[in-house]
Amino acid sequence: MSAFRKILVANRGEIAVRVIRACRELGIASVAVYSEADRGALHVTMADEARPIGPAPSRESYLRIDRILDAARGTAAEAIHPGYGFLAENAAFARACEDAGIVFIGPRSETIALMGEKTSARRVAVEAGVPVVPGTLEPVADIDQIHREAERLGFPVMLKAAVGGGGKGMRLVTSPSDLETSLARARSEAGSAFGDERVYIEKAFAGPHHIEIQVLADHHGNAVHLFERECSVQRRHQKVVEESPSPFVTPELRSLMGDLAMALVRKVGYRNAGTLEFLVDADRHPFFLEMNTRLQVEHPVTEMVTGIDLVKLQVRIAAGERLPFVQDDLRQRGHAIECRVYAEDPDRGFLPSPGRISAVRIPGGPGIRTDSGVYAGYEIPIHYDPLLSKVIAHGEDRESAMARMRRAVAEHRIVGVATTLPFHERLLRHDAFMAGNYDTSLVERMADDPSAVDEPRLDLAIAAAAIASFRACGRPNPKAAGSPQSPWWQAGVAEAQRGRE
Amino acid sequence: MIVEARVGDRVSRVEVRAVGDRYLVSVDDRTLDVDFIDCGDGFLSLMVDGESHDVTVERRSGGFALTLRGSRVIVDLGPSLPAGVAPRHGSGSAARLVAPMPGKIVRILVPAGGSVEAAQGVVVMEAMKMENELRAPRTGTVREVHVQEGQTVETGALLVVVE
Repeated sequence: MSAFRKILVANRGEIAVRVIRACRELGIASVAVYSEADRGALHVTMADEARPIGPAPSRESYLRIDRILDAARGTAAEAIHPGYGFLAENAAFARACEDAGIVFIGPRSETIALMGEKTSARRVAVEAGVPVVPGTLEPVADIDQIHREAERLGFPVMLKAAVGGGGKGMRLVTSPSDLETSLARARSEAGSAFGDERVYIEKAFAGPHHIEIQVLADHHGNAVHLFERECSVQRRHQKVVEESPSPFVTPELRSLMGDLAMALVRKVGYRNAGTLEFLVDADRHPFFLEMNTRLQVEHPVTEMVTGIDLVKLQVRIAAGERLPFVQDDLRQRGHAIECRVYAEDPDRGFLPSPGRISAVRIPGGPGIRTDSGVYAGYEIPIHYDPLLSKVIAHGEDRESAMARMRRAVAEHRIVGVATTLPFHERLLRHDAFMAGNYDTSLVERMADDPSAVDEPRLDLAIAAAAIASFRACGRPNPKAAGSPQSPWWQAGVAEAQRGRE
Repeated sequence: MIVEARVGDRVSRVEVRAVGDRYLVSVDDRTLDVDFIDCGDGFLSLMVDGESHDVTVERRSGGFALTLRGSRVIVDLGPSLPAGVAPRHGSGSAARLVAPMPGKIVRILVPAGGSVEAAQGVVVMEAMKMENELRAPRTGTVREVHVQEGQTVETGALLVVVE
């Protein structure tokens, strides 16, 4: 039973699909919104209704508060789920929903504003008795002041966008001579990603752990935490693999971080689902980083170990229901790992690789869940985040979860673009990861030791390519064996001709 | 059919012969007896000495990209060279930096005439909401810069020539 009959999903990709699935299970009708680039996207196909909201660039569609509210009114949707990214942490959007009498499935707009500005979040955390990463509690603009603060904290330091997140507008600075250019880069990235160029400065720890606590709070003063997620496998300060429980977290640290999270949740009167991110140093001291006032990409990891459907609970909490459990009812059961599959080339520094997906095979079998937004024939738009799918493995312990994930990553195929799947394959066989002995420096260290494909597999790949070319035309015709414009081809022809002379 | 296959720096001479419903493929000195089935949509099933290999294939400019249990291998195919002619390697001459994806040029870090180390950042490009630093393909001098800051480029657009 639920108070809502219809929910609009103000997002796209796998997370829109995830929310639509929750709506369907709850017996609630769903409304998708889509840009001109997304008419054929999976979330549009899966929803009960769909409304176009403008051209492909997100600021003309998925970031247009007016058009999304028009779509909600036009379809008589009573609530809006924002997913993550886009308008999920936009206080003006939450306020516009409140003003329009449409339920925003998330915290109150003033909470989003308070926690969305990272320096005000740091100030309120200090007031709640939660330790924060050393650094400024206000944004800094003046280069002299930044030099003074950096000297006071000691290098390396981190420059961070005051609003936003997801690794954008963030720069690690290791020496004073880099401060000015890094500041310019961070400000310009923050400006283009979030429309706000303000940055602040934090001490950067060497090889810290990035560990977060999931929280849920209802409108009646009840709040719980759903334990931790270990998020230390990162590239460009963005997570690629998460797991729960964290192999680094002791029962004492888990209980301390849970208490800190609850202190901040109570201090700000938090409602709905949220996540507190912490840096944890080598001595297991947690420092509050920021709070994400929304559902996280990696929420399935928590769902698998707690058995709780976070999205359905978000909806029920927004409808005014009470949390159906208390802290003591909650347990971590077994172990879960998530691998994010991005359209990025891990062999070329994780450069984005847009293109058309010609075929997809989704992994299955025991303990495997795949949250995906792609299908065969899907053209990856260049306008949005290149996340294609998430594979989540659950097992009775870390060993069995890893074994399932290794199997699933080999089964999963996305044909047509480079993806991070080969990276996951390597990671899942990496000694440090297998031992559970890793921190945020892991991906960088892996880049220093690139994998080589072994000779027999290389021969097999070459044989497969040659047979495919042979079958296409039976002879090394340029049309089949590569374009005649290919520099390799031309070089070969030139050499062959020279050899004849 | 005889072709040259290139994977990274490795160049192999490859001969393919159809024998009944199988293929005999010589890759340099090694011969593989391959039972090959096209399952459609780029999925292939290869059996070699009773071992089953689950391979996906996609055609790309110059050859194919193949995925075998988590590894993605780019195989470029070209015409075979007469015996005794060494295949040409791409060193010693100018190296071109091309756009790996469509996007916007945010900054040019090294102007024409500037010297660069291999893998040093040369151009910052914004694509898929991220700023990506594109690195010099080799050590040398930036001879030509073909783009301006703020310009939008397509995949494969020539950005910079390093000599």
